Amino acid sequence: MTDVKSYLREWAMPHVLCPGCAHGIVLRSFLVAVDDLQLDQNKVALVAGIGCSSRLVGYADFCTLHGTHGRAPAFATGLKLARPELSVVVVTGDGDGLAIGGNHLIHAARRNIDITVILLNNSIYGMTGGQVAPTTPPGAFASTAPGGNTEASFDACKLLIGAGASFVARVLAATPIEMTKLMADGMSHRGFSFIEVISDCPEYFGRYNKAGGGAAMLTGLTLRDEGVAVPLASKRFVNHVPSSAPPPGITTGVLHREDRPVFVGVRKAVDDES
Amino acid sequence: MSDNTSGLVLAGVGGQGVVMASMIVADALVRAGHDVKQSEVHGMAQRGGSVFSHIRWGPQVDSPLVPVGTASVLASFEWAEAIRWVPYVRVGGVVIADVRTIVPPGACADRRSWTTRYPEIDPSLLLDRRLKARLIDAAATATALGNVRAANSVILGSVAAFVDVEQSHWEASIERLVPRGTVDVNLAAFRAGLEVAEAPTPAPAPEHRGFSGPHQIDIRQEWCKGCDICSRVCPEYCLEVGSDASLNVSNPDACTGCRLCELLCPDFAISISAPRQTAHVGAFNEPGEIEDESD
Repeated sequence: MTDVKSYLREWAMPHVLCPGCAHGIVLRSFLVAVDDLQLDQNKVALVAGIGCSSRLVGYADFCTLHGTHGRAPAFATGLKLARPELSVVVVTGDGDGLAIGGNHLIHAARRNIDITVILLNNSIYGMTGGQVAPTTPPGAFASTAPGGNTEASFDACKLLIGAGASFVARVLAATPIEMTKLMADGMSHRGFSFIEVISDCPEYFGRYNKAGGGAAMLTGLTLRDEGVAVPLASKRFVNHVPSSAPPPGITTGVLHREDRPVFVGVRKAVDDES
Repeated sequence: MSDNTSGLVLAGVGGQGVVMASMIVADALVRAGHDVKQSEVHGMAQRGGSVFSHIRWGPQVDSPLVPVGTASVLASFEWAEAIRWVPYVRVGGVVIADVRTIVPPGACADRRSWTTRYPEIDPSLLLDRRLKARLIDAAATATALGNVRAANSVILGSVAAFVDVEQSHWEASIERLVPRGTVDVNLAAFRAGLEVAEAPTPAPAPEHRGFSGPHQIDIRQEWCKGCDICSRVCPEYCLEVGSDASLNVSNPDACTGCRLCELLCPDFAISISAPRQTAHVGAFNEPGEIEDESD
């Protein structure tokens, strides 16, 4: 295995993310997945919008595009149509992908364009100061919900299955080996692949909700991990921290996979018919 | 043995299939018309303990146990088990030893220096005793045939070369006893084992397994943010975050190279690399040294 640091823009490191933020683990797992798939560094395009998660593309030494808030799937759609030989990957967050860019995300899924979307869900708007996001669980505290969130939250995977994504998976940032495997599967899948990574935000979500630092939040996540019946390389956390009754489980693994026609653009479809 | 029976000892580690192999040997001997008694002892089998089986055959066998110093063949599926059972072999007997190594946790003598008491793969340990020795890399042979799990059939093939039973009996027993669907690969492995035993081919150096020394922990302090994830997940408590949020390796000798810290470091600050010192499992001697000493 190559040293994943060879895929980093080392001059840009260390990254801006807070201590304990698991987004860096996600970036690392992604780099390992690219290495496992033996992809040409110049044939991988990372597209991002705005947010903590979207900062990741700045540190990865591929073709990268840092676009406007929520519009990463739109940029990626255009890029894939113009340069179909590229592996196009969108890195987005729960606010960027599900609130500001919700429409772009579901319509890219509906078209089943052959891109991969990695959505880092940390349940809060981290970069702007800990406001309520569409994924903040009911009852959780945030800077705009000092009395606890009164809204229901999105299940991103259900949303994307409904929108027509042909590969939908969920994984925890605390299980990097599974994450790498699912990312490689998603990138190999022909069609729209959606991978929701449950990440953490110790600085805002953790602080407001007294969930502890990054280590405690990640350990807490693993206690809630309920894998679906898929064979995955498994290397679990060694849990040093005893926990009280855990909150509801998080279903991880490949939740949906189907083969259906991939959107290749009008011009290509017309060419194929003639 | 003073009477006209012969003895065979099969040895290995729990889970390797020693009992199945001894059933095949006994079945083949019965087919050849011998009176056969077989007895097996399971150690802490599920915990990687020693498992062995005695087989005695002849016109009439009274006890299943092979007395020390009387076995005509010892077949071992693991290197250290071969050494352990060598005293059972008679002068001029045959030792067939797989060079596979399975280091038991109990052989770890010192966690600081990572010395183990595991014996080196050294053919002279066998040859000093006036034995015919065959060192076989059965796993490599079986892998070349397409299924590493047929390794035991390679050993059985080598056993068959030294036991006076027709090949058809052996093959009938293998067909009857191995799992359905693996008959072909096991028969191929058996025949490969026969060839290996009859014309000893140089065995390749086995891959070093087991304890292999403390891994190198390299920390890139300028990237580390002291978030404490690594020190909380390390099963061996190797890492420690100081009061100034600096990451220190507090227990470098305990690192087993599991890489949890490296995989879970969000800041790419930890690299685990293979140990600089080599394992004590020992180097494999030149295959040319494996020779028959007494015939």
